[in-house]
Amino acid sequence: MSTFDIPIGPQHPALPEPLLLKLEVEGESVVGVDFDVSYMHRGIEKLLETKTYFQGLPLVERICGICNAAHGLCYTLNVEKLYDKEIPSRAQYLRVVVEELSRIHSHLLWLGVAAFEIGFNTMFMYTWRDREHVMDMLEAITGNRVTTEYSQIGGVRRDISPELAEKLLKTMDVVEERTKYYIKVALTEPTIAKRTQGVGYLSPEDAKATCSVGPVIRASGIKFDVRADDPYAAHDEIPFNVITYDSCDVFGRIIVRAQELLECVNMIRYALKNLPSGPFRIKLPMKPNAGEALTRVEAPRGELLHYTLCEGTPKPYRYKVRTPTLANLGALRAMLTSKGRYVVNIGDVPIIYGSIDPCICCTARVQFIDVKKGKAWTWTLDEIRNMSKKVKA
Amino acid sequence: MSLESYLIEMLKVLVFPGFIFIFILALFYEWFDRKFYAKLQNRVGPLYAGPFGILQPLADLIKLLSKEDIVPKGVDRMLFTAAPLFSLTLSIFATLLLPIFSYKGILSFEGDLVITVVLLTFLCIITFFAGIASYNRFAIIGAERSFLQLIGYEIPLMISVVSVALNAHSLSIQNIVLSQKNMWYILGPNILGFIVFLFAAQAELERIPFDLPEAEQEIIAGWNIDYSGRRLAMFRLAKNIELVFLCGLAATLFLGGPLGPVVPGYEAIFFTIYFIIKSIFVLAILTIVRALFARLRIDQIVSFSWKYLLPLAIIQFLIVRLIV
Amino acid sequence: MEISITFGYHTVFDCEVDRVMSMLSELLKNLFKKRATVLYPEEKDKVHVPEGYRGKLEFYREKCIGCTLCYQVCPSYTIEIITDEKGKRPVFNLARCTYCGQCEDICPTKSIHLTKQFEIISLDKKDLVVK
Ligand code: SF4
Ligand code: SF4
Repeated sequence: MSTFDIPIGPQHPALPEPLLLKLEVEGESVVGVDFDVSYMHRGIEKLLETKTYFQGLPLVERICGICNAAHGLCYTLNVEKLYDKEIPSRAQYLRVVVEELSRIHSHLLWLGVAAFEIGFNTMFMYTWRDREHVMDMLEAITGNRVTTEYSQIGGVRRDISPELAEKLLKTMDVVEERTKYYIKVALTEPTIAKRTQGVGYLSPEDAKATCSVGPVIRASGIKFDVRADDPYAAHDEIPFNVITYDSCDVFGRIIVRAQELLECVNMIRYALKNLPSGPFRIKLPMKPNAGEALTRVEAPRGELLHYTLCEGTPKPYRYKVRTPTLANLGALRAMLTSKGRYVVNIGDVPIIYGSIDPCICCTARVQFIDVKKGKAWTWTLDEIRNMSKKVKA
Repeated sequence: MSLESYLIEMLKVLVFPGFIFIFILALFYEWFDRKFYAKLQNRVGPLYAGPFGILQPLADLIKLLSKEDIVPKGVDRMLFTAAPLFSLTLSIFATLLLPIFSYKGILSFEGDLVITVVLLTFLCIITFFAGIASYNRFAIIGAERSFLQLIGYEIPLMISVVSVALNAHSLSIQNIVLSQKNMWYILGPNILGFIVFLFAAQAELERIPFDLPEAEQEIIAGWNIDYSGRRLAMFRLAKNIELVFLCGLAATLFLGGPLGPVVPGYEAIFFTIYFIIKSIFVLAILTIVRALFARLRIDQIVSFSWKYLLPLAIIQFLIVRLIV
Repeated sequence: MEISITFGYHTVFDCEVDRVMSMLSELLKNLFKKRATVLYPEEKDKVHVPEGYRGKLEFYREKCIGCTLCYQVCPSYTIEIITDEKGKRPVFNLARCTYCGQCEDICPTKSIHLTKQFEIISLDKKDLVVK
């Protein structure tokens, strides 16, 4: 049978992300896959070097609209490491509240998108409708729906009033009820099961070998969650369970995310009940101490990593971001490759691709292009290391 | 034939219950489908054109008709032009067989039931050619899928129709309607056949969970990816008329068609109303099915048809066989 | 509920009916619910904007002391410092503003306030300059 190529993306109605998937198809099944993420360069890391740490925060939140709270949190935690100051614990608790709230909204959004990828429009409409409750709460707490900018260097933007906390708890009841319903639907609905079980298989070994993160690796049965492994903010005090599922497929990823929603609800409840009193923000000087800092945060999509090098000036010398989608791309290739009895159909591609919750805009990385010779290449880590040695010497 | 009766026949074909009536009905059904679907999903649906957005399908149609006519390079020009035309004509032709305002359709002859089933298959074949004509990768996959799907649902559909015919001892739609005077077939022994017919109709109409040939998320628009403007308008209209046809056929075969209590002398009006109500009932079920499921995969559709629909249809057939 | 038809050891047909029920009941419930959509431009009163929303900003000239702190924290160069009869003061070009609220937070005299107004679109660039 002859094969032919099908391009999916960089513009595709179902995958609104600038990613090109080149599928080699034989009839209905995919036999080869190649992808290209470098359609979007925004120069955010470079731009951050031109701004002070305080000015950089709104920019960092815009790396990704959906995990903005995680980016903002990671950035502030990272910068605060340069200061050697104790951040008030009330602020840390409030940070967790908003972080988990945004995780709920991200996971609900993902559930909707996943349903949409398998053509389940009703579920898509319902989850996005229910997500509005969460968005309203985010708006009430932080002042905006999407770019929350709640976590600030030195604390959080505003305090939470008792009435608002009360309202948030009520919303959590709604979210919990709806989430339980979605879990029930996901577990019982026959067509969802058909379309997701055994699809997008990622064995635990592959998950480890490709360094995947977040719900993808947890759905392969591996307990890996930065909140538990390397607690930040108030996560060392707020108890929660790391959700894992061992089916290693798209179905598992749905269940992991849905169950995480319940965990988030409980964490918010706990945080609000045990909210320490005290100030919610301390003023920090514009200039941090010289040094390096590296922070990991569990964004809704997985481990997020920020690094900065500061030379004692108000502006960073270097700022580096590693987003979870980049870490999961290797796993995506493993999932999309048919091998042996495991066959990937064209129809499975959108949901498999969707199951890593891709966010390509924050992923694209450097490629070197020699315009004169018309050559493009990338450098490996070792090559870059050698190069820097040469420069130093 | 006298001039008068000739004119009346002409009016029947062109206005009521012929082309114009069917055209309006098709747009109305599309509106109902969209609005009801939106309601199920807690949305608004069409809203601005006309009261409750009832003119939205018409507005869409006019918009498409007024668009630039694009024929991409490298398509098979003749097939590319012919496919929408054929699809529209065949679906209109099919609706002429439906008994809308009396016991029989405008066209009625012994064995017209067979023609309806043949037309359904033809419509699917035209879909296939429409996809092939555009020589697009996605379109070819869509066309392939529409054929694969046909393999799945065709046989159960036929068996369910045949068991109705067996029940009525006739292959003509008129006799089938008349034989339901005492009891509609859905209440009688043909309930299973009705279910099979509904699923097959859903597949024929390419609606979720069987909308694979044009699955947006997978192959963008599938077989009709290259069609735009007038041609797309024709396809859409043809799909809507097919929707009317299939809902009407289900109503005719299983719900007694236009039958119901009537005031003598006004049969035509009452029959039309009953026909519309019954076929909208079928449409509502189809819409609920559309909202209820996710899209299946192509292998799953075929296995679903052979594992569930076919046994159901055969059981249906056996039941009817035992009774008759 | 499960319907299944078995001949000997072979299951010819089986179907769990209540598996679709959870979704079906939800669908029918929604049929009679009020729609969730807010028809925005028509139903403006239904749009709920909470206290503390970060919308179009307001500036109170009489309070400002001209410290230029707002200028220093603004990430998007929205603020331009000019000198008028009373001294230094900021001018805001909202076309660049990201509504981050950093200027409001840092201002020592509370001269900047982000209001609840979120409809900021204008056909004239000059309307977007807050003085
Ligand atoms: S809200 Fe933010 S972007 Fe707008 S003027 Fe203030 S600091 Fe600048
Ligand atoms: S920070 Fe406040 S007081 Fe200072 S210049 Fe800006 S508006 Fe005026």
